[in-house]
Amino acid sequence: MNTTALKELLYKMADDQLIMGHRSSEWIGLGPLLEEDIAFASKAQDKVGQSLALYQLLEELGEADPDTVAFSRPAAKFHNSIFTELPNEEFDFSIMRHFLFDTAEYYRFELLSDSTYEPLQQVARKFTGEIRYHILHANEWIKELGDSTEEAIARMQSALDKALPYALGVFEPSPYEQKLIDSGLFAGEQALQNIWQDKISEIIGQTALRLPAWESIEPVYGGRAGHHSEHLQPLLDEMGQVINSEPGAEW
Amino acid sequence: MDKILDPRLQRLTLINEPLPAKPELDQLPTFEVFVKSRAARPWRHEGSLHASTLEMAFVFAKEQYSRRGTCLGIWVIATHDLFVTDYADNQTDIYDQFTEAPGCSGEAWEVFHMYKRGTQHTHAGQVSAPTPQAALACARNALERPRPVLNAWVGAAGKFRKSTPEEEAMWQTTPEKLFREAIDYKTNEKIKAFKATQS
Repeated sequence: MNTTALKELLYKMADDQLIMGHRSSEWIGLGPLLEEDIAFASKAQDKVGQSLALYQLLEELGEADPDTVAFSRPAAKFHNSIFTELPNEEFDFSIMRHFLFDTAEYYRFELLSDSTYEPLQQVARKFTGEIRYHILHANEWIKELGDSTEEAIARMQSALDKALPYALGVFEPSPYEQKLIDSGLFAGEQALQNIWQDKISEIIGQTALRLPAWESIEPVYGGRAGHHSEHLQPLLDEMGQVINSEPGAEW
Repeated sequence: MDKILDPRLQRLTLINEPLPAKPELDQLPTFEVFVKSRAARPWRHEGSLHASTLEMAFVFAKEQYSRRGTCLGIWVIATHDLFVTDYADNQTDIYDQFTEAPGCSGEAWEVFHMYKRGTQHTHAGQVSAPTPQAALACARNALERPRPVLNAWVGAAGKFRKSTPEEEAMWQTTPEKLFREAIDYKTNEKIKAFKATQS
C-alpha cells in the first residue's frame, strides 16, 4: 500500500469536510426559514463528523490526534479545496456551493466504497447514506430557485458562474494520482469529475439556468497543495478560538 | 335603554360588527409530517412545517422530525389535502357519523386515528373509496380500532410524499444520534467534577 498517497487523499477529504462543515455552521440562526436553519445545522454536524472519521483514519496511519490536526495547523498546511473556504455570502451562493460540492463528495465516497483500503471503504459507505440527504436537499433548492422568478434565476445563474471555476478546483489532481488508481485506492479525480459533470448537467438541465461549456472554465487550483485564499486563515482562527484560548485543556 | 356597563356584554356588540379583513399572511403553506420510528410501530403524526412545495416539505421534514432517534421513513402531505373530522363527543365514536358506505372502491386513502386528546394521530390503514367521507364509512368496518376514535384524518394516498425504500439509507447511518442530545455531553457531571477540584 502506498501510504504517502493514501494520506494525501485522506487529508484533502478530511479538510474539505471540516472547512465545509464550519462554513455550513455559520448559517445557524441566519437561515432564510427556521426549517432551513435546522437542515444546515444537521449538514454541518454530518460534515464535521465525517472529517473526524477521516482524521481518525490518519491517526491510525501515524498522524497526530484529530483535535491537534484540526485546530493546530496553519492555513498553508490545510489541503481543502479553495472552494470550501470561500465566505458564505448570500444564500444563493451558499446553496449553489452546496449543490456543486455535495454532489462531488457524494460520488467521491461512492467510488471509495470500492477502495482497496478497507477502513476507508467502510467509512465511505457510511457517509454516502448521510450525504444522500445533503444532495436531496441541494438538488431541491436548485430545481426550485433555478426555475422560479426572474430575480431568483438571475441570482442563481450569477452564483453558478462564480462558483464553477472553484468547483472544478475540487478535482485538482494529486501528485500521486496514478499510484492511487493503480493500487485501487481511489478511481482518481478525472473519473470523479466526469461523473460529477454528468450529474450537475442533469440537475441544471431541469432549470432555467445555463451551464457554460466545461472546457471554457478555468479551474482554480492550489488548495490541495496548501496555497489558499485570504479567507482560510481567519476561518481557522475563529474555529480554533476556544481550544487555543486554553491549550492542553481537557474538553 | 340604559347603557350596559358590564364589560363582557359591551364586548358582545363587537361581534355584530363586521370584522376587519385580515391581511394575507406572508407565510408558506403548511404540511403535516408522519414518522415511522420502528418496524412494529405505526406511522405517527409528528407535527407540521412550512414549505414552498411538497418535495421541499419532505426535505425539511427529514431534519425537522427525524434528526434524533431512530427512523425508518417519513410521509408528508399538504395540510389542506387532509380531510379532518369533528371531534367525537365524550365516549362516542367518530365513526358513528360515517355510516353510509356508497361502495368501497376508487381512490386509495390513508386513514389516521386519534383516540385521546393530547396524543398524536396514528396510521390505522388504507381503504379504497370515492371520497374521504366514503373512505371513513369504509374504514368503519375495514380497519381495526381498539377503542372509540375521537378524531380521524383522511388523505388520498397519492397526495403523500412517501420516502422510498432506497431513501431509507438516509436514516440508517447513525440510528441513535446521541451527539444531538444535550444529555449525552454530561456537562453537569463535568461541572460537578470541576467544582470538586476547586473546593
